[in-house]
Order: sequence, then structure tokens, then C-alpha cells
Amino acid sequence: MSHTHKPGDGGAERHAAPMVEEITDFEVLEIAVRELAIEHGLFTAEDHRRFTEWTESIGPAAGSRLVAKAWIDPAFKARVMEDAVRACKEIGIDWAEPTGFGTPSDYMNLRVLEDTPTLHHVIVCTLCSCYPRPLLGMSPEWYRTTNYRRRLVRWPRQVLAEFGLILPPEVELRVEDSNQKCRFMVLPVQPEGTENWTEQQLAQIVTRDCMIGVALPRPGRTADIHPVQKARRPVQSSEHSGEPAHEHDK
Amino acid sequence: MSTTSDVEPVRIALLEALRNMEKTWEVLAPRYGVTNPNPPWKTSLTAMCDCLAASGALPALDRRRAEDELADSVYREVPAPERQLLALVHIMLSRGLVSETDLVGRMRAVRSRLESA
Repeated sequence: MSHTHKPGDGGAERHAAPMVEEITDFEVLEIAVRELAIEHGLFTAEDHRRFTEWTESIGPAAGSRLVAKAWIDPAFKARVMEDAVRACKEIGIDWAEPTGFGTPSDYMNLRVLEDTPTLHHVIVCTLCSCYPRPLLGMSPEWYRTTNYRRRLVRWPRQVLAEFGLILPPEVELRVEDSNQKCRFMVLPVQPEGTENWTEQQLAQIVTRDCMIGVALPRPGRTADIHPVQKARRPVQSSEHSGEPAHEHDK
Repeated sequence: MSTTSDVEPVRIALLEALRNMEKTWEVLAPRYGVTNPNPPWKTSLTAMCDCLAASGALPALDRRRAEDELADSVYREVPAPERQLLALVHIMLSRGLVSETDLVGRMRAVRSRLESA
């Protein structure tokens, strides 16, 4: 439960964030197996500290900055499309971290997929859960599920509709399958009405889901998590109704 | 999709005894008013997976393949962070990277240490 601290100088009370105040077997198990792994020489405590620090430092804000800068700086966008890993250094992201040669899970080859008004990209990793972690942070849990990975390549429009993204039929849809040799992220189309926005303003509407391709940026939408709205009408899943897949790009 | 891993989807006594669904983060966090979506050990777990891959002790693709199989079988009903932890330990036990005997003893020592703090 939350604690109340009363500083000795008589200042205002501070309320610590609540914590789970019990020791679970899961917590104990994680510590125990890690200690044994270190003792067996599978890795060092220093390596673990370094990877932990790196994991805590990554997040989708870097990707948002990259997209916003690409929108307002055509020369930067050209560099992104030519060599995305190198261009990332301009926004302070070095894919070689934390080891000097990246991580085993983040192969240092990134391709940015540029959307147009008639072309939309969405990324997946059918093999496992490859994801551009240096730019987007840890992948969301749904991205790792076999449900998303198997179904997106077979019924991409239906799966996107489940995220609330319904693309017009005239928009071509490409599913890009990440793998151990290459990571992908989506460069969405800059939405109308944002032409005079600053880079910082633009970055706020480029959420993680926009860079995966399961959402589109729009003014006022600054988070992937938002209050659920009541459905206005029943939604029929075309997959359940037996509709054949229309797209299978990879 | 992935090919079959070398990890058997069998029940491991130690891990079966630990899978208390009343102690998963999705149950405990709201009980204590905690809004963090992940337990405090999740980042450490992720780093451990990276370390094992970096050292070559457990390649990332092997781990993910086995994780998928275990998530669809033995740990199907366990929520995400706990499922990933149980799967990783399951894989490490299966591959002989750690032994069940050592793990039981170390868990006892770790709990004792944490509770005495």
C-alpha cells in the first residue's frame, strides 16, 4: 500500500507510489535462475546490468522523433530511406548499443517503409517476434502472439479492422515480415491539418502502433491506450463468416 | 511459422508448483493499486534473455521457438510475463543450463534473504 513520508524539514507530505508488498514465487524464481546462470558462467552480472539499463532506456519515443523529423525535413527523410541505421544516429539512437555491435535480438539492419495515400504497410514477425527495439522499445504483447503473427499474413485487412483500422479497398496493403536479418518500421503519411506543426507536436501523434502499421496518426490521438468507446453497431468478422483472404503479400 | 524446438512440452514439478494464478501480476497489481503493467522483475527477465543470447548459451531464435510451443501447451493459461519466465526456466532446465535441484535450493535461499531484509 502507499506510504506517506514526512520530510524532516517540515515540508509537504510526499506519497510514494503504491507497490506490491509481497514476495511472489515468480520474483524469487527470476532472481534464483539469474544467480545460477551467472554462477555457471552463462553471462556476467555486469552484462546483465548493462542490458537491463539498455532495456529501460528504449521506447517508442525515438521512433516518433524519427518520423516527425522525416516529415518536416525531406533531406533527413532521404537519408532515412537510404540508410536508416545511420540516420538514427542523428536523433541519438545508436543501434550498436549496448555491446558495441548491437544485441543478438536487434540485427543492425533497419528498413523504413514509407506509406503513401495509396499504399499502407504493416509489420509482423511470423518466425518469432523480431522488432526494431532501439527505435520502438519492447514489442507489445499482442505482437508476440501467434494469433497476430499467423493471421496478419493471411487476413491483413480483417486483422487491421480488429485494431480499428479499416482501409479503403483502393489502398494497397503490404505486410512486411521481419526476420533475423532485417527489421522494419512504418513511416506513416503525415495527416492533413498538421502542416505547420513543430517537430515536437508531430512526434506526439506518432504512436507505437502507427509505426507498426496497425493505426494511423491523427491530430488529437497521442496514445495507443485510450478509453474504449461503445460500439455503434455490431461488427461482423469476415474471417468468421468464411470470407477468403484477399491479401497475402509475404 | 517456426519449426519444432528441442524442448519437450512436459510438466516440470517445480514449475507446476509455482504457477499460482492468484500471485500473477495481473491479479496482484490491482489489489495493491499498482498501475505499472509489468512486474518489477520483467526488465531483468528481458535482460537475462538478451544475455543468454549474447553469450551463445541460449540463442534468441531457439528460445522464442520453444517459448511459442510452451505458451501454446504447458503454460497456455498463464498470463504473459509469468508465462515468459516459466517458459525460459523450463527451457534452461530442459537444456541442462541449470538443474532443478540447484534451483530449488537457490529459491529457498533467495526467499529467505528477501524476507529477512
